[in-house]
Amino acid sequence: MKFLVFLLQFIFIYGFFFLGQLLRELFSIPLPGSIIGFMLMFAALSLKLFPLRFVESTATLLLSFLPLYFIPATVGVIEYIDVFAGKGFFLIAVVIISTLLTMAASGLTSQYLGQRIEARKEQE
Amino acid sequence: MMETILLALFFIVFTFAAYFLMNLLYIRFHYSFLMPALTATLIIVLFLLMTDTAYDTYMIGGQWIDSLLGPAVVALAIPLYKQRKLLLDNLVPVISGILVGVVIGMSTGLALAKLFGFSRILLLSLLPKSITTPVAMEITEQLGGIPSLAAVFVMIAGFSGIIIGPAFMKMLHIETPIGVGIGFGASAHGIGTAKALEYGAQEASVSSVAMSLSAVFGSFLAPVFVWIFYL
Repeated sequence: MKFLVFLLQFIFIYGFFFLGQLLRELFSIPLPGSIIGFMLMFAALSLKLFPLRFVESTATLLLSFLPLYFIPATVGVIEYIDVFAGKGFFLIAVVIISTLLTMAASGLTSQYLGQRIEARKEQE
Repeated sequence: MMETILLALFFIVFTFAAYFLMNLLYIRFHYSFLMPALTATLIIVLFLLMTDTAYDTYMIGGQWIDSLLGPAVVALAIPLYKQRKLLLDNLVPVISGILVGVVIGMSTGLALAKLFGFSRILLLSLLPKSITTPVAMEITEQLGGIPSLAAVFVMIAGFSGIIIGPAFMKMLHIETPIGVGIGFGASAHGIGTAKALEYGAQEASVSSVAMSLSAVFGSFLAPVFVWIFYL
């Protein structure tokens, strides 16, 4: 019984992914099909087209193993190991520097705006 | 035929086993560098190298696990929906920070890599490095980059974010839950979100919102940056 619930919910979630892929193909949308499916799922939940419990338990289970699903694709780096040899080392430096700039810019922006809104609320 | 099925089964079981064993190790010791996404991948890569097995052969089984990526991205909408109150209560600071993060992440990554003279295909693989792996791979694939390399760059971004990030944010006086959560989620995606949990539940929730929305904004903006940088 539990397995049947899981299977039905999984097919339901997969349907959103399939729909995302289909829309992408049909209208040549330059977005990943999974992201279109993600937005449709969020919209459907927000519009209360079906209750959260229709998808909640299977989504939670599916997400608890998320890193497992991208292992096969990551293993594919085996075919590109030479990219990181020699000059490729600088690619790692580029990623680290850019990551820290991203962290500083996003964190400071959110913190500053959050504090300003808080201060304004207190004044009122 | 029989051989193909056996190979597929073997690599599926092998990948599951590597993941679950490494996950146990990670739960036991909890060092970042023991995260199963890293360790299980290394074990499989080493196995393939030592047995002289082609990646295509591994993927006879691997593709079945790979096919769960799409539905898993759709499932990310559920935690985001559950955090909609947090999102709505802090709409301006959260959305602004994430947008700034995506723009700075993509533009500085491309600009620096271009400065060093790296090829177009490497730039396209590096572009979505701040975005959660399943979505980053799809973005790269659509633009003509290499998804496996994108996954590795995403991992490097994640690890540099959680190793250098804590001291770096302290230095910059980023200390509110929203600042810390957005900082980790927008730059180091899922790995950053796991780190944010060590700060508190609110930091982790903000970070997971940042991770999901970075994936959405990044999907929209990646083609725009490719166009801006004449790739």
